[in-house]
Amino acid sequence: MKKFITLLLSFILLVGITGTVGASVPGVLTIWADGTRAQILEPIAAEFAAAYGIQVIVHEIGFGELKPKFLIAAPAGEGPDILIGAHDWVGELTAAGLLAQIHLKPEEKELLSPVGINAFSWGGELFGFPYIMEAVALFYNRALVPVPPTTFEELITIARKLTDPEVGKYGFLWDAANFYFTFPFLSASGGYVFGVDEYGALNPRDIGLANEGAIRGGELILRLVKERIIFPGVDYGVMAGLFTAGRAAMIINGPWFISDVRAAGIDYGIAKLPTIDNNVMRPFVGVHGFMINSLSRNIVIANYFLRTYVFTKEIQLQIWRADPRIPTFLPAFLSPEVQADPDVKAIGLSAADGIPMPNIPEMGAVWAVMGAALGHIITTELSPAEALTAAVEAIKGLIRY
Amino acid sequence: MRVGYLITGPQREMRNDNLYPLILKIILLSGMSAVALWAMIILIGMEEYWLVGALAAGVLCINFVFLNRRAYPFRYILPGLIFFVAMVIFPLVYTVRIAFTNFGTGHFLTKRRAIEVLEGRYYRPQDPVRYTFQAFQNEAGALRVILTTIDGDSFISDAEQLIAVDLSQVRFIDDNNDGLIDRFDGYRRLTRMEIFRNLAALERLRLSKDEYIVKMTSPAEFTRFHQRFRYDPIEEVMIDLKTGTIYRPQYGIFTSAAGERLTPGFKADIGWRHFREILHNPAISRPFFRVFYWTFLFAGLSVVTTFALGLFLALTFNDPLLGGKKFYRSILIIPWAIPGFISVLIWAGLFNTEVGIINQLIGHRIPWFQDPFLARTALILVNLWLGFPFMMTISLGALQSIPHELHEAAYVDGASPWQRFHSITFPLLMVSLAPLLVGSFAFNFNNFALVFLLTGGGPHIPGMPGAAGATDILISYTYKLAFGGGGWGIQYGLASAVSIIIALIIGTISLINFKLSGTFKEVTIDV
Repeated sequence: MKKFITLLLSFILLVGITGTVGASVPGVLTIWADGTRAQILEPIAAEFAAAYGIQVIVHEIGFGELKPKFLIAAPAGEGPDILIGAHDWVGELTAAGLLAQIHLKPEEKELLSPVGINAFSWGGELFGFPYIMEAVALFYNRALVPVPPTTFEELITIARKLTDPEVGKYGFLWDAANFYFTFPFLSASGGYVFGVDEYGALNPRDIGLANEGAIRGGELILRLVKERIIFPGVDYGVMAGLFTAGRAAMIINGPWFISDVRAAGIDYGIAKLPTIDNNVMRPFVGVHGFMINSLSRNIVIANYFLRTYVFTKEIQLQIWRADPRIPTFLPAFLSPEVQADPDVKAIGLSAADGIPMPNIPEMGAVWAVMGAALGHIITTELSPAEALTAAVEAIKGLIRY
Repeated sequence: MRVGYLITGPQREMRNDNLYPLILKIILLSGMSAVALWAMIILIGMEEYWLVGALAAGVLCINFVFLNRRAYPFRYILPGLIFFVAMVIFPLVYTVRIAFTNFGTGHFLTKRRAIEVLEGRYYRPQDPVRYTFQAFQNEAGALRVILTTIDGDSFISDAEQLIAVDLSQVRFIDDNNDGLIDRFDGYRRLTRMEIFRNLAALERLRLSKDEYIVKMTSPAEFTRFHQRFRYDPIEEVMIDLKTGTIYRPQYGIFTSAAGERLTPGFKADIGWRHFREILHNPAISRPFFRVFYWTFLFAGLSVVTTFALGLFLALTFNDPLLGGKKFYRSILIIPWAIPGFISVLIWAGLFNTEVGIINQLIGHRIPWFQDPFLARTALILVNLWLGFPFMMTISLGALQSIPHELHEAAYVDGASPWQRFHSITFPLLMVSLAPLLVGSFAFNFNNFALVFLLTGGGPHIPGMPGAAGATDILISYTYKLAFGGGGWGIQYGLASAVSIIIALIIGTISLINFKLSGTFKEVTIDV
């Protein structure tokens, strides 16, 4: 009999795998969000359900799982109605035909930050409602650095004084081999990832990571290595650990790090990134937003839910109170409550100079290759010009395929 | 008794066996068949005909084997066979199948679905015509809408059509004279709350009139749309109705003569393209062969170092003069007992150039993960830590099986300890250990977790196109290529093609394994 049961169970398993959880059902709104967002949305969804008689189900899925799961589930008709995620998914999801276009009226558009709209646009059309944005900025330990530097020369002067690796003290660190964090160095003097074509769309054939400006940024990194301010082998974990231990005076990091710093009891401040030769450092701006599944059977309801309910000052402030990130919904961002928060203000200023992280799938080729090139600059194996030129060639080779 | 009934035939069994097991058997079989049938219906809906066929064949086999007495002996091998097919044959066939398609980012949909998506794409002109609407429902629950433009023209829906209508006709009744129609032909106007309840149904309405369609765009309005694309099934081309451009399918994506591509693409057969790319595209092939060489070196070195250390420790513990063996053995098993994922991450921290304890003890900033040679050394060292307990354990076991008399005889004959080890212990050990060593080689050949967690494949080799690093082995390189920035999102097709190549290599190794174990058997006869 055991065999029967085993067989039966294995068939049930097979059926179970093909069956689904959290799929779109007509008349019921299904939302996929990561843990933080799901928790914030639960009460909002419940209020909407009570007010409009439309059930809203929020499914919590790990952030890293959201996109892969959506890519598999949505084409099979098993996806949610609304997906909450990062703007750099837009290219891949649109290329897969899985995002519904969003038509904003001019008066609706005015309420959203242009950076957010830009980030969720693909080929000139909008594919998501941006709601928060984030960018890296300069975190400093007030006990070590009372006044944050505004120019890079100032920063180097301060850092030189505070750096003594023999006793484990560092003046200025960041995850230098990580392209995400190092991009502001390359962008300050004119480096860019992808150029823009005449229609305003990103052009993957125009890569500006080895132009004069980018190489100047590379030279600056090399100078920091030679002056023994930054060291190979410092990655994100090391940097974060040293800062929360009070052993690093200044770091480059993003708003997700604030709660860790607070928990560590560091008296910290956040400032705009300093200028390099009077040029502003332009960090990548990451935008999070609500996207609608193109194969959803509730597109109108989803639109209605987002336009008239979620994207109101009241709800956006409610979201902000639960998770203080920079709102892209301007009435919320400009409210005195949000403006009074110095962290949001500093990161908002940083993001205002920023460039939305390219949302085209070709970006996939850039991360690893650029990480490798930055690694070569930091270990001084290659000169910045050599490393960056080789990286651009490599990216072109990968994109061609 | 079983053998007896096989000989004496069915009648005998009927009398001897109780009836209840038979009934239970039939109930369970029919239950299973019903579940399978249900699964098949779902799978047909998903157009997974291969799976339907496999499931049907499996269920028929099970029913036949359990209902036909002659097939009785098969009951013992059937579960194994089914699992073999499901877990080994099916993934194999599926991987080979995928390797010849472009399945991956941008090509997830079937062709039919991609056409549906494109044909379902509408555009609204620069200044779209908008309608306010009233929704009506009859007793049977059918919905109809009356649409009114800003100019006051009215239209009524009739099934999928939109018809111009004169609202002053007598059938349209306004009960309270508020200017809104309250009922007509048995249909009653829905309140705002009722509209919300029926949004999903209203949203599905696609009302066509002339060459445009009208659909709901918000709970307060309908908007006029024009279809953007139409598929011509005879010419197999997609026509852009707005611009007149013709797009032809090319490698699973509709492409115009000027090279413009329509997303989404679809899953299509692309023949040997992935294999050609692996060989000919320098961005893929140059790192590939380099990685290939290191993979062999890494697997070989891992086996040699772990086996050498494991054997040395085993020989030491086998010495009857050593005390406290149990204690030492337990200590040395620890690396094996800690989950590899955890110890590898800890090792990554220990080796950190700036804050790692190893450099602090040495007193130098050794760039463990920045220098290719050092990174490879660190990888081999960590694998030695992870791997020697296994080698020690199997060597200890194998040592027990070597008859003590052989050693004694050699001792009496005056053989030195080295001679005894070299001529007796080692050859006899290899009889039982050689296949395990080859197995260990194959395991390390695909030791993804170690490489991924310790070095991430890095550091990158200067001048090497692509993301391949000095410590990347084939499987971690495949992962990078297919999922981690290989250029274009997720590429299952390419990953499958590389896995086939890896599988062929592993298959060759296994073949050598069988040959090798045969050779060593002859050695035993010689001894």
